[in-house]
Amino acid sequence: MKSLKYLLTLVVMLSVAGSAWSQVADAAAAPAADPTGEFARIMTWVLGAIGALLFIVAMAYVVRVNQFLYKRVLTLEAQRNGVNLPDDVASLQPKEDDFWTKMRKKYWENPVPIEREADIDLHHDYDGIRELDNSLPPWWVNLFIVTIIWSAIYMFYYHFGGSGPSSSEEYKMDMEKAKKEIAIASAGSANMVDENSVTLLTDAAVVAQGETIYTSNCAACHGQALEGGIGPNLTDQNWIHGGGIKNVFKTIKVGVPDKGMVAWEKTLRASDIQKVASFILSKQGTNPPNAKAPQGDIWKDEAAAPAADTTATKPAATGAESK
Amino acid sequence: MSRIEQFQYDNKIVRAFGMASFIWSLVGMLVGLILAFDLIFPQLNLSESGIPYFTFGRLRPLHTNAVIFAFVGNGIFMGIYYSLQRLLKTRMFSDKLSWIHFWSWQVVILLAAYTLPMGFTTSSEYAELPWPVDLLITLVWVVFGINMFGTIIKRRESHIYVAIWFYIATWVTVAVLHIVRSFELPYSLFGSYTLFSGVQDALVQWWYGHNAVAFFLTTPYLGIMYYFMPKAANRPVYSYKLSIIHFWALIFIYIWAGPHHLLYSSLPDWVQSLGTVFSIMLIAPSWGGMLNGLLTLRGAWDRVRQDPVLKFMVVAVSAYGMATFEGPMLSVKSINAISHFTDWTIAHVHVGALGWNGFLTFGVLYWLWPRMYRTTLYSVKMANIHFWLGSLGIAFYAIPMYWAGWTQAMMWKEFTPEGTLVWGNFLDTVTQLIPLYAIRALGGTLFFVGTVVGVYNLFKTAAQGNFLANEAAEAPAREIGPATFTKGEYWHRWIEGRPMQMLLWSTLLISVGGIVQIIPMAFMESQVPKIASVKPYTPLELTGRDLYIREGCVGCHSQQVRPFRSETERYGEYSKSGEYIYDRPFLWGSKRTGPDLWREGGNKRTDSWHYNHMLDPTSTSPGSIMPSYAALLETDLDLSELPAKIGALRTLGTPYPEGFENEAIANAQAQAREVAKRLAEQDIKDQGIENKEIVALIAYLQRLGTDIKVEAAAKK
Repeated sequence: MKSLKYLLTLVVMLSVAGSAWSQVADAAAAPAADPTGEFARIMTWVLGAIGALLFIVAMAYVVRVNQFLYKRVLTLEAQRNGVNLPDDVASLQPKEDDFWTKMRKKYWENPVPIEREADIDLHHDYDGIRELDNSLPPWWVNLFIVTIIWSAIYMFYYHFGGSGPSSSEEYKMDMEKAKKEIAIASAGSANMVDENSVTLLTDAAVVAQGETIYTSNCAACHGQALEGGIGPNLTDQNWIHGGGIKNVFKTIKVGVPDKGMVAWEKTLRASDIQKVASFILSKQGTNPPNAKAPQGDIWKDEAAAPAADTTATKPAATGAESK
Repeated sequence: MSRIEQFQYDNKIVRAFGMASFIWSLVGMLVGLILAFDLIFPQLNLSESGIPYFTFGRLRPLHTNAVIFAFVGNGIFMGIYYSLQRLLKTRMFSDKLSWIHFWSWQVVILLAAYTLPMGFTTSSEYAELPWPVDLLITLVWVVFGINMFGTIIKRRESHIYVAIWFYIATWVTVAVLHIVRSFELPYSLFGSYTLFSGVQDALVQWWYGHNAVAFFLTTPYLGIMYYFMPKAANRPVYSYKLSIIHFWALIFIYIWAGPHHLLYSSLPDWVQSLGTVFSIMLIAPSWGGMLNGLLTLRGAWDRVRQDPVLKFMVVAVSAYGMATFEGPMLSVKSINAISHFTDWTIAHVHVGALGWNGFLTFGVLYWLWPRMYRTTLYSVKMANIHFWLGSLGIAFYAIPMYWAGWTQAMMWKEFTPEGTLVWGNFLDTVTQLIPLYAIRALGGTLFFVGTVVGVYNLFKTAAQGNFLANEAAEAPAREIGPATFTKGEYWHRWIEGRPMQMLLWSTLLISVGGIVQIIPMAFMESQVPKIASVKPYTPLELTGRDLYIREGCVGCHSQQVRPFRSETERYGEYSKSGEYIYDRPFLWGSKRTGPDLWREGGNKRTDSWHYNHMLDPTSTSPGSIMPSYAALLETDLDLSELPAKIGALRTLGTPYPEGFENEAIANAQAQAREVAKRLAEQDIKDQGIENKEIVALIAYLQRLGTDIKVEAAAKK
């Protein structure tokens, strides 16, 4: 009777736990469409499963503690009142080694109680230190065995016949995946501006964003007020690699490695480069203090189209020639 | 029955090692604190004014050496000299050797304190000391070995206790590790090049480095735990069988795990995988020690609340359990891809060092001092304060560092949907961490203050007590020869009566892992595919490389681009093992406080950029926490050792042509003039710059990782 009730409780809890954790796992897995999605999803499931398992174990434990306390209370009350225990309660008295105890001793822990310690004293005496002959904790032995099996599988999977990818194969797969994702993400996006299609932005808010980018990335070499420093002055009319939004955009994007100008295309998005180039050009003629002497040729901002064409067809040469 | 013999235990040597341990602990932790504050206030490096000795790069190895070899090292000897005598019922083999051991070990430490700030370093982590000191360490170890085995031989106990098994394994393994790691060819009083190069050197290094943790910070302390914990708790050891299994499993498996420091590096995959699987298999053997310690406290837990000694020990063993679970987890490739090169590693090692080694040492000291001084602990309250300051210190240290490690790894790897790095500027990932570094410094300060309180308490205990230099004891004499073994005894008793067999078997077991991993790497050419375009460094680049080593740049900059999209996008092509064959020593590093530098060469930045960056890092990288290296611009370039260096490298196998040593200086000077000329073109027109150290360093940085670009260009 009673055991049936407990079994029923356990089944209900199991289903509650299972559904709750699978929902959590689902929720966590859903937005995981990012590059590490596959791994994250698997990990989430594994975590979900472990969590559910732990929950069930904890609940089972609570049930057992509850059962035990219930018996204790009944027994104590019976003793106090001098009444005989009802039969079904008496039958619940823990027998020596019931199923759970046996399982526990076999797979979890099996210490000899402190009271019976003398039975397993090995009578070693090292400067007063004694040693007991407790058996190895079964869970510890099992853990050791599981790690050894795991290791064997691991070595097989990656090296002896399994299909585990090598580090460089993993890298290749990752790069191919990224390529596809970038293609999807970039399709028709505003970030696809390049040196041919770029236009000068004049919206004050956007130029202000450009200023923020400038301050954290460019000011170190070109000065807080664009007056120049390690790099040239950006406020005068002279440009080493060509002025105008298209040339400035391109210089920022691909850099001038020989002269220390960093290629920013890997660091800044195209739209950010456009913003910072627009900001720089908004500062033309501001004459900041301590300005560096002009370098390069005076750039005449003629109709932008022809200049852009030259840059587009002869990328590297333009800079060198203008110098 | 044999007659009872009277003898005396030597407490003086124990006290000496104990005092050395806690005094050096203050020094080691103080240097650590300075380093923690360096990262928040880079001015504290003091190098802007041209003083080169106290930069982060030079002090970091001083901190690690002081904590490992001075604090824990002396702690080991304290524990061993006390417990060995009592477990074997005899005085140490020779008082003279004991004191030679003590003083020569302190000399090693003082030499470290001198050579490391001076910039004499091999740059191999935990083996930074120059070759003459290596020789001295070998000598100390031999002296210690004779003294220990002499004591074991003249013992009055027939069998040796588990603590001594650990001492024996410690002694032999550290000897093997130290000797192999020290294979190096000297070219001057403090200078030498490693026998192994590149990827092989990396493997040998982490075989050594990992097992320095295993056999210097772990096994001797397990031995100490096995003596002092049952003593302090007055409880029997929980399981003799567990002692046996976990001891042999631990020493056998530990030695294989080194390659987990090199996951996703240029080390061949099979060696990496061995590192991973043996780390996972290490969980149970490591935990065996923790279990046997904690379960020994069964029936004494009520006392843990009151007794500071037990309190310290329980936290120590728990920290050991945590660190030895975390370690294997960090050895799993997918987790290592996040944790490696970040502050996660720093958090991990400090849970071990502060928790396990720090707390166990102080637990033992609190137990030992009142006994040797025949008094009670001066103040239990103070010990409790120490306990809480220490515990809080560990928490305030570890939690922000875990946070920092995770944060930085995530920032390194984050891409925009369009495929650019969100944090393309490495510096952003550094400045983000500074608040966390500040909390860490607070944690370190708490722990340090706790230690000061502890040391004060020990001094007051000593002052109120009366030191017992020679403790009288008696025990029955032992018959000469191996212990008798009767049938029916547990099989392991046989070897416990034969310590020399124990030494032999331990030696064999700890050799297997190293042999399987290192021999194929060292002798099979297929393991390191050659790349035709990779050439030896020019004399000037070599000089610059040695400056890079001197300044400890490797403490913050790795030279190993891992095969991750986030790294190849940021730095360039991932590293190949064949690129490093002339790197003696290898400089892959283990922490990226700054960016990786392997693809820094080839004019990624101009010479003038490097010049300005060394003079004042914030001029080119605002917010940088790198120290200034102004001294490099002022110090004359010393090329006089070049012929000896070239000769040494040729002996080791670098293909410099015969007689090249005679041209080396002229060659270097010519290249220095070229660098100076380029600098002048870029508006750096310092007089005589071609004779300053900076040009050599620039030449080296511009060479880094460029050899395979040459190959790519040639193919086109």
